[in-house]
Amino acid sequence: MSKDNREEIPQWKQDFPIQQKEATHVSRREFAKFLTLLSGALAVGNTAIVVKSLAFPEKPLVGEHPICLESEVAEGESFQFEIQGSKTIPYLLINLGEGEWRAFEQKCTHLSCAVKYRHDIGQIECPCHKGYFNPRTGNVIQGPPPRPLPQLEVVIREGQVFVKAQNT
Amino acid sequence: MSDFRQSQNEAHPNKTNILLTGIILLLILFVTIQIWFLFGALNNALQENLNFAITTAVGSLAFAFASFWLLRYLPEPIKNSKKK
Repeated sequence: MSKDNREEIPQWKQDFPIQQKEATHVSRREFAKFLTLLSGALAVGNTAIVVKSLAFPEKPLVGEHPICLESEVAEGESFQFEIQGSKTIPYLLINLGEGEWRAFEQKCTHLSCAVKYRHDIGQIECPCHKGYFNPRTGNVIQGPPPRPLPQLEVVIREGQVFVKAQNT
Repeated sequence: MSDFRQSQNEAHPNKTNILLTGIILLLILFVTIQIWFLFGALNNALQENLNFAITTAVGSLAFAFASFWLLRYLPEPIKNSKKK
């Protein structure tokens, strides 16, 4: 495993070998140490998620936000908008017809692709991996998304469309 | 002059090999479970499931400590004592 000349070389010098073969050689001891470092890094990453959740909790949406005029979105159409908060989140406003309006986060819960409303099939579609959501509840109908789309409450007042956080 | 260590190495020539392989396999197992934890925590943190994130973080830290502790048993390279 170890070469004769390796023992003569001081340890600090072994990291700067003259022969290229020695530079690219990874011993099993080094590999084990690398795995340990990786293990430590993964633990730090996992802890960082907890620290981030505790130290910087996401602020809920406060108040009503005007989006557009009711007449701007025809029946079966959708309208994309963004709300500036602790971070900018894109949303999708959908006019389902017969006075039914819905607003969902436009990021698919699978891998954050932009979802779109398809009136012809009456579903919200994620084109990346063919995930489908119910346009009334946001629940997953089919495909890989693990969670329903986050939803906002839509309020229509004097021809103007407002959204606010859902009271659940 | 031979000593105890040399006799052991000669009597069980595969010992270092088996120890290293065992340690590396254990480390790979630990890292795999930690990746699984991290993936789950990332997915669940999005759903504001803090308890899951805390549980996996504690588990991941335990595995990391176990990995560092395992390094204690990493065998030293067998020195070529015939040279001197």
